[in-house]
Amino acid sequence: MAQLVASFDFTPGTRDAALEFLKRTRWELRSLRKVFVFRDKLQIFDINGDYFEVRGVGYPDADIVPLLKAVNTAFDPATIHDPIAASFKEFATGRRYTWAQDRVM
Amino acid sequence: MIATTNGHAAPSLNDATPRDPFNNNCYGTNVDRGYKLVSLPVLDVTDFNERIIRGYEEGYGEKELPADLSVARSLIPAGTASLRDFSNIAPEIPEYIPSNCTGCMDCVTECPDTAILGKVLSESEWAEKMKTIPEADREMYAAQWSKTKKYYDAGKKKVGEGGMFQIIIDPSKCKGCAECVTVCDDDALKMVVKTDEFMLQTRKSHRYFKNIGPSNEKYISDSLLIDMMLKEQTMIYTGGAGSCAGCGEGTALRMLCAATALKYNDDWGIIAATGCNTVYTSTYPYNPYLVPWSNSLFENAPTYAVGVRMRWDQMGWGKKPLWCIGGDGAMFDIGFQALSRMFASGMNVKVFVLDTQVYSNTGGQASTSTYMGQNTKMSVHGKEVGGKQERRKEIAQIAMMHPRTYVAQTTCAHINHFYKSVLGALEFDGPAIVCCYTTCQPEHGVADNMAGEQARLAVDTRAFPLLIYDPRAGDTIRKRLSLQGNPNVKGDWFVEPKTNKEVTFIDFARSEGRFAKHFDKDGNPSVTLLAANQDRLENWHVLQELAGLR
Repeated sequence: MAQLVASFDFTPGTRDAALEFLKRTRWELRSLRKVFVFRDKLQIFDINGDYFEVRGVGYPDADIVPLLKAVNTAFDPATIHDPIAASFKEFATGRRYTWAQDRVM
Repeated sequence: MIATTNGHAAPSLNDATPRDPFNNNCYGTNVDRGYKLVSLPVLDVTDFNERIIRGYEEGYGEKELPADLSVARSLIPAGTASLRDFSNIAPEIPEYIPSNCTGCMDCVTECPDTAILGKVLSESEWAEKMKTIPEADREMYAAQWSKTKKYYDAGKKKVGEGGMFQIIIDPSKCKGCAECVTVCDDDALKMVVKTDEFMLQTRKSHRYFKNIGPSNEKYISDSLLIDMMLKEQTMIYTGGAGSCAGCGEGTALRMLCAATALKYNDDWGIIAATGCNTVYTSTYPYNPYLVPWSNSLFENAPTYAVGVRMRWDQMGWGKKPLWCIGGDGAMFDIGFQALSRMFASGMNVKVFVLDTQVYSNTGGQASTSTYMGQNTKMSVHGKEVGGKQERRKEIAQIAMMHPRTYVAQTTCAHINHFYKSVLGALEFDGPAIVCCYTTCQPEHGVADNMAGEQARLAVDTRAFPLLIYDPRAGDTIRKRLSLQGNPNVKGDWFVEPKTNKEVTFIDFARSEGRFAKHFDKDGNPSVTLLAANQDRLENWHVLQELAGLR
């Protein structure tokens, strides 16, 4: 069953520490599949459904943008902060470089 | 024991060997079978499989095999890819969690490599079969069966006895793409590290799965098309093809073969246009097809198919289906004239297009199917020009304007629509084309497990609308053309209910590496991508108009 693998409690001024957390603990998840962004937390899921949670930061906050970029999220920065009726926003994280991007393109 | 070219006696490759003690690499998918023999003076199947395949399996094939008639002609017997072992190419493999399984068959259907298989038996049959499993492994193997509502509870009403259901992973064919885990909505599969202990259990389980015989067909509903892969007759595309992990084309070919075999067993054939599909299905000496297959050139597959069709008709084989398979490069571009000519002939040839919107095999050059703005090797995104500037050609609309031609556009993620498209093409007495969106992970820039999700998103964002155009359905275009299956079929864009926002081609582009350069650091799309978005909307409007919805 899906389980919480690791978490980080976000407070103002801890953006770099949160990015460090995502970088250092990334290996504990498998290939990333999607993120759920709530008003006050971020959940990052792998293909097995196991996840990280960053608490204390959500889609209304400016600091959510670098965190989403750090896990390769396909989101629109222009609308990420817009309020919604549902409890969370869902985005995919499956974008990759194309073949030979580094050599030909 | 069989004598081999290097002078040693060895067991048949279709039997257990010291390298393959549980005989995972053998003919037959749900059950074991012998080599598929043919009566040809230039091809001795047993000799080929035992001598030539062995040479390649043991690593001396290219250097030591003599250029005799079999080798020099490049003939390959049917299904030799069954003997190929992919056990060591991926670090992870799926694990089945029976208590969560609903028997939906999504994983079995969507696997590109015929590496995940299903079986259903009545409870009493199952109990008898479990007695044949070695006592030491009986509990381990029995625990891998589930009592699903679909087969157990409904089976009690329909058959009078509950059906036990199992999913199994063939460890010799799985490439670890995790497509099966992604399509499972029930947490019944997860990826795990290939430890020696787990692989031993997986190899044994796969062996027992094949030993216990076929599914009980009383539990397989003819009206549920997704169940067709429980039947051995539909397993025409074996595992062991050389396609990339998670290849969208592999799934499409498997589903095409299954649907055709459901109606015609193995009494049909394939003419393939050069492209990725011919490379990974005929990388010498491995062939995953159990039906006759031939490849000529890039540009003339439909012409070749017309010739075969004429000969078959002369021989009285008029009812035998003939599929002509090619990518978008072969059918939209280089072989387009041959395709159009075939349509005009009115002949009973069925065309299946693996539409990756790029020349995948040669490294990703633009085709006329490529989307506007797409970054490819022949439309490189640079300072002056942002990717491909032309609009995408629409093969479906062009085909519809040919006389009495059946046309469908579909994806493997829309399983019922896919099967209906293929079965409709087969039932139609005349030329037909089924264009299938197929994710190409390296060229689209998406993860290995994303084939189905990206295909679904392509439909949701009007990048690739579903359609079926059946000339038998009426005397006007609007009666013949169905856009059923597309979301918000009367509107411009699909509106995501969670966010109440339109989902557009821009959202699709944002999710793939091939469009990544069209977004600035703030996520704003480029002018070219906005034009591409408009192009997709205009194409959708054309379809709506043709279907009488606008």
